[in-house]
Amino acid sequence: MPLAFDINGEERATQRDPMTPLIDVLREEFFLTGAKPVCREGFCGACTVLIDGRPMVSCLVPVGTVEGCQVRTVEGLATAGEPSRVQKIMEEHDVVQCGMCFPGMLITLTAFFRDNPNPGRDEIKAALVGNICRCTGYERLVDAAVALARGGE
Amino acid sequence: MAGRSPVRGRQSLFMASSLDEAVSALADGGGGAAAFAGGTWIMRAPIRGEAPAAFHVGLGRIRELTTIETGPDEISIGACVTHARLVAALTGQRQFAGLVGAARGAANPAVRELATVGGNLCAAQFPASDLIPALMGLDAKIELANPAGAERVSVERFLEMRRTLVPGTVLTRIFIPRSGARSAHARLPMRKAGDYPVAIVSMAADLDADGSAHDIRIGVGSVEAAARRWPELEAGLTGRRLIPSEAQKLAEGSLAAFNGRDGIEAPGWYRLQVLPVLVRRAAEALLSS
Repeated sequence: MPLAFDINGEERATQRDPMTPLIDVLREEFFLTGAKPVCREGFCGACTVLIDGRPMVSCLVPVGTVEGCQVRTVEGLATAGEPSRVQKIMEEHDVVQCGMCFPGMLITLTAFFRDNPNPGRDEIKAALVGNICRCTGYERLVDAAVALARGGE
Repeated sequence: MAGRSPVRGRQSLFMASSLDEAVSALADGGGGAAAFAGGTWIMRAPIRGEAPAAFHVGLGRIRELTTIETGPDEISIGACVTHARLVAALTGQRQFAGLVGAARGAANPAVRELATVGGNLCAAQFPASDLIPALMGLDAKIELANPAGAERVSVERFLEMRRTLVPGTVLTRIFIPRSGARSAHARLPMRKAGDYPVAIVSMAADLDADGSAHDIRIGVGSVEAAARRWPELEAGLTGRRLIPSEAQKLAEGSLAAFNGRDGIEAPGWYRLQVLPVLVRRAAEALLSS
């Protein structure tokens, strides 16, 4: 029986076993390769997606639990080709390095800024503890997020 | 309650729509079936080198397991309430400050959106649960449903039982009696956040007007294979004014109660060494709450 859910505004269905991690369905079946399977333990955050608006590590989410849910990946953050405000500020601050962690960072910050429009630097750091960057590009990323918190665009 | 299992085909996950359905499906599955809540422990079974269960029964769509109910005498928390929802629902209530601290500090934000109270209690091989020592401090009771009916047990009793539950058992709710007690949670991860804590002290107590402490309950986590109370320290602190530095000294004198576990993140002796400091921090936080 197919499992149907919404990915970035499109109705999709999969025949994969319901215990298959969502990250594998996103990448292998729908070719949404922004989210990365890195640690597969929920520690690194590279596979973070929004499920019904909440950021979750898609390596630990079986696809059978998201039937009927709305899944939003990094590919769905831009609207009609226009980057989101989080994406824009990151580009302006030239934050991206290798790109492995970055989709997860964007997803985490998208949900965080929705719920906390004016966070302080320490709050931003705390929000990102589950997103590991092995390029160690944290400071520039946090600088950009602070700029967004101060009203930067 | 029992009936024909609504399991579909040979799929490895069945999302139950009611508690009866879940109990029935788990009972039919016998020892090869496992309840599935948030999944943050079960989905990592391959990394731990464990074979997955033959069949999982998902609990996340059973509405009664996802609610938090607040009554005049007790609150009850559905087994599928996540750490994140626990923080959102109980922040600002002094009695539950320890539980909120436990839920807010555990793991990282994206895991806290998935990991549930019930799953945390049932992960028998996970020694570093934050919620379990906090629930011990609050004198929580665990409600279990199985084909024969329902029962409530203490957290300590549940930890003894949890590896040998009869097939068809579902942890349904956690009940916490309301009281005037205060609580606090002190944990030591090796990073500031995002790691498993090396040791945890969760403390709850009633304070009289003169500052003397009664009904002290202290849960210690991550030091041994499973969380447990610290009765020697509880007895030493009862009836006296709670003074953090003295609580630390008392803790130093009763460390023999524990046998620290060696682990990747810390050796056993280190877990013991930091415990008295965590007792002091918990006492400080409790007094300032």
